[in-house]
Amino acid sequence: MTEKSDERMAIREVRLGATQAEGGTREVSCVIGGERSLPFSERTPGRLLVALEICDDPRFWPPVVRDYVGDLANNTDEWARAAERTYGADLVRLNFTSTKQRGFNAFDAIAATTEAVLAATARPLIVEGSNEPELDSEVFRRCGEAGEGERLLLGTAEADRYRSVAAAALAYGHAVIAQSPIDVNLAKQLNILLRETGVPQDRIVIDPYTGALGYGFEYTYSVMERIRLAALSGDADLAMPMISAPTDTLSVREVREAAPADREAMAVAWEFYTAYAAFVAGASIVCVRHPLTVERLKKALEV
Amino acid sequence: MAMKALDIYKHLPKTNCKRCGYPTCLAFAMKLAIGKADIEACPDLDPDTKTLLGGVTRPLVRLVEVGAGERSIAVGEEFVLFRHEKTFYHPPGIMVQVSDAWSEDEVRSVVETVKETVVHRVGQDLVLNGVAVKYESNRPDRFAEAVALSGGGSSLPLALIADDPAAFEAALAAAGQYRPLVHAATEENWEALTALAKRYGCPLAVRAAGPAELAVLAVKCAEAGVPDLVLDPAPLSLSDFIATATEIRRAAVGRTEPALGYPLYLDAGAFGETDAALAAGILKYAGIIVTLPLSPASRGAALTLRQNIYTDPQKPIQVMPGIYPINEPGPAAPVLLTVNFSLTYFTLLGYLEASRIPCYLFIADTEGLSVLTAVAGGKLTETLVADSLKKFGVAELVDHRFLVIPGYAAPLSGKIEDATGWKVLVGPRDAADLPGYLEKEWKA
Ligand code: B12
Ligand code: SF4
Repeated sequence: MTEKSDERMAIREVRLGATQAEGGTREVSCVIGGERSLPFSERTPGRLLVALEICDDPRFWPPVVRDYVGDLANNTDEWARAAERTYGADLVRLNFTSTKQRGFNAFDAIAATTEAVLAATARPLIVEGSNEPELDSEVFRRCGEAGEGERLLLGTAEADRYRSVAAAALAYGHAVIAQSPIDVNLAKQLNILLRETGVPQDRIVIDPYTGALGYGFEYTYSVMERIRLAALSGDADLAMPMISAPTDTLSVREVREAAPADREAMAVAWEFYTAYAAFVAGASIVCVRHPLTVERLKKALEV
Repeated sequence: MAMKALDIYKHLPKTNCKRCGYPTCLAFAMKLAIGKADIEACPDLDPDTKTLLGGVTRPLVRLVEVGAGERSIAVGEEFVLFRHEKTFYHPPGIMVQVSDAWSEDEVRSVVETVKETVVHRVGQDLVLNGVAVKYESNRPDRFAEAVALSGGGSSLPLALIADDPAAFEAALAAAGQYRPLVHAATEENWEALTALAKRYGCPLAVRAAGPAELAVLAVKCAEAGVPDLVLDPAPLSLSDFIATATEIRRAAVGRTEPALGYPLYLDAGAFGETDAALAAGILKYAGIIVTLPLSPASRGAALTLRQNIYTDPQKPIQVMPGIYPINEPGPAAPVLLTVNFSLTYFTLLGYLEASRIPCYLFIADTEGLSVLTAVAGGKLTETLVADSLKKFGVAELVDHRFLVIPGYAAPLSGKIEDATGWKVLVGPRDAADLPGYLEKEWKA
């Protein structure tokens, strides 16, 4: 199979972030994808990126991370700056958890926070918009507009919830995360839906949905391998780079019920094993929440 | 290339004498065809036929046993490159490394940890598998002592890591009968090491840089009389390991290079990133992984990853559907509906046992799907609940007609009431909140 790798379809390249020359303000932009064979078989996994997730309302964030970052959690742009400069993340993923609260209507804050985080960071930005279907259209419009020209990676489109994200991505020139529940065919269908809406293929990143280690991760792992294999054997509708966010790992029982002294180590181990395995299965970007996991993933990718 | 059962059968004696352990020659041929039997088992074949059939029916990846007795491990005998193609069968043995340059106490404490550590998850007991003793003292007698200190192989499988035949000579005199893994035969020492491995009937690791060199050396060792080999591709980096291991496994399962049809060996300590190496080895084809002592967090995560990856993708780990009494319930105890996914059952069981609340767990057959997945996929339905209530005779066990259902099954509550005639109480979504909920709401 690999011998004939140059005849094979490549995973489509997706560019994230825009430098000044490209119409944005990022110091660097990143290209993901472009692989022609199985993960790690090209022996230069230089395009793999580690994102640190942050949020605008820490009430909805894992306690084990809040304990670690302390005051940063109340200061979204400082947190974002630390993510890149102190913790060494390749990217920041900004989650608008504020949209989880009942009766949310602080849409101006969405735009302001997006701008502040863009100002605080030098690298491409992932923005996770609304958590509530009714808020989608306004939230995505606001963060999309605030990041116009910056080629954000906007999330998350799902089969029954993709129009607002797609519209914002199209209007303001962003890329989109397309999430489906651990299923090759559903991943493909959603990509087709997005294409029909007008989102160019090279602006889609597949999120196959990541079950936590010990809680469904094996399904995710195999679906990622299958998506990658389908792409390499010529299925253009699956030939997008993948993003994995083992979001649930920090609330699994092993972490929640660990003795207080062990909790942090357990959280980082759980995140690390899930995230590293996602890279091995084919993810181009993995998103984690504990700063210590970032450092360990970066080191692991170097050996 | 592989041969079909009927083609193999043509070459067999067709006497059905059963000496191979199978009832008929055809049954034996069928096992051979899938690489699950050894041609040597039939005593009535001439050498030519044996060679012919041996070549096409040898297991794709040889099953190699390390250690003896209860905790011995068998690795290899794998058939696919990706677990979704069928499944992976033999999880890698994880062996924790000690050194003969360490103090007695240090060695003992690691050995004890390996022996005692058990991680209970979804009804399975996950363990570390053995101890790897590394020769660093330059004194064969000390190596032998450290091996003895590690139990000599009688309780835990051992790997002996050295390059000096004299060290092996000393260690095997003490522990040879317990089939330790001898690591490693190289281009330089393979003759002496194969002689030793042969004498003691031990599995032998072969170490060379890359698949081609490994194949050459493996053939030499096999021809010298050591059939149980393990391949150490001496990776330069972790990504090199993943790439090389993939190449080797592909050659083995595609039968393009039979000399690579052996389990792989990985030294997880080689790159300074033990957790990443452990994960890479578990995911990508390692049969034996040697690691430095692990923190409880790393251990838990690594063993869980191994369990995940080696679960049959077609068959979630399940429990028997039925009615399960917990904490000695009486006729007034609540009945809690749930699914037969093992993870769901054991999660609930943990919280319920800790709470000491007497109750009945009523487990419907959702074919191993979790609550949310079963609801989303239409596997948990009111008909299933109604039928299961009857089948398990739940009405005879309790003197009330209340059914507590999982929070995630709330959309089904009306339908379940209609189909069963039982009053439905929608419980919380998270099992952790279930005891609190029962204490407050349950007063049948
Ligand atoms: C692994 C997984 C799968 C695996 C199946 C694993 C399995 N054996 O069930 C696979 C890949 C096969 C799968 C398939 C699908 N999945 Co799925 N899957 C998951 C995942 C990642 C984890 C599920 C899990 O293991 N949970 C752990 C167990 C322990 O949870 P549980 O059984 O619900 O039990 C908990 C509670 O319910 C409660 N509880 C249990 N019993 C009881 C009883 C009482 C009385 C009470 C009070 C409480 C209680 O306690 C437990 C612990 O808190 C979830 C995401 C997630 N985070 O949940 C998605 C998820 C459940 N899947 C989803 C979907 C949509 C699907 C599919 C329909 C997609 C598709 N078309 O292919 C299919 C359906 C299956 C089918 N076709 O039949 C969605 C469901 C969306 C929704 N809200 O309805 C989810 C949430 C993912 C998502 N966000 O999109 N899935
Ligand atoms: S031992 Fe040989 S001859 Fe006898 S049944 Fe088995 S295959 Fe047939």
